[in-house]
Amino acid sequence: MRLNCPCCGPRGLEEFTYRGDATVRRPESPTAPAQDWVDYVYLRDNPAGPHRELWYHGAGCRSWLVVTRDTRTHAISDVVRAVDVARADKEGAGS
Amino acid sequence: MPEVLHPRDAVSPVPLTAHGVTLRAGAMRESVSLAAFRGQADTLRAFVGKEFDVDLPDTPRSVENADGITFIWAGPNQWLLRAAPGTDLLTRLSPCAAFAALTAQGDSRTALELRGPGARAIAAKLVPVDLHPRAFAAGDVALTLAGHIAVILRQVDDTPCYEFLVFRSLAQSLHHELHTAMLGGIPQADRIS
Ligand SMILES: [Zn+2]
Repeated sequence: MRLNCPCCGPRGLEEFTYRGDATVRRPESPTAPAQDWVDYVYLRDNPAGPHRELWYHGAGCRSWLVVTRDTRTHAISDVVRAVDVARADKEGAGS
Repeated sequence: MPEVLHPRDAVSPVPLTAHGVTLRAGAMRESVSLAAFRGQADTLRAFVGKEFDVDLPDTPRSVENADGITFIWAGPNQWLLRAAPGTDLLTRLSPCAAFAALTAQGDSRTALELRGPGARAIAAKLVPVDLHPRAFAAGDVALTLAGHIAVILRQVDDTPCYEFLVFRSLAQSLHHELHTAMLGGIPQADRIS
């Protein structure tokens, strides 16, 4: 499998580390209901199809990436820098 | 009396040659890493442009200014600067401290140089990026692995010559691996023209 890093170009799997689901968001408040924390820490969907997930380009530019991968075929349809996703999230929340 | 500690070379200073490819330790250089604070990349770029008359590269490349200082892309909004001893890079960069992290890297990185007509074929044995001249040319940079060792790889010129910037503690291992790759010779498939 190869990932097309937006900073470095296409690179082999050996340069990356998988982190997991990129769509979970930490509860805003430490006093959020226990169920919210359970969802955040433990519960994951297991989709057959496109999955947005975090990868770390540790042996390259050391960027966190959000990769959209089809779990049935490993086809990669999108790779963006996680910092850009976080920025867009923030701007979305602010508007 | 305690025994006096002596500075030692990271790898043998004697160049090794096999199959027309030479491996040698690069000359000592001052090295400083430069990482822009959040939202300060443009300020840093403007300062470096004015102080060194150079545009910091935004893609995996390196550029050299008129004083022979090399500016190597080292990740988003990060660069590694290398210059001849005596340049005093840190002093020249000190105004940057307000908007970037400055770290002396002279003790951290060792340069290994692989040079000769077959250098591309030898480097390609260890490095998982495409080194074909259409994909990787003089001035291009890749942050990648050589074997299992993290390197900043840079093509210095069209000989071709490649520079591997490696953590000093791993320089001996990479030197050994490169030498082993050289002794294995140039693969038949690369012996064109
Ligand atoms: Zn990368």
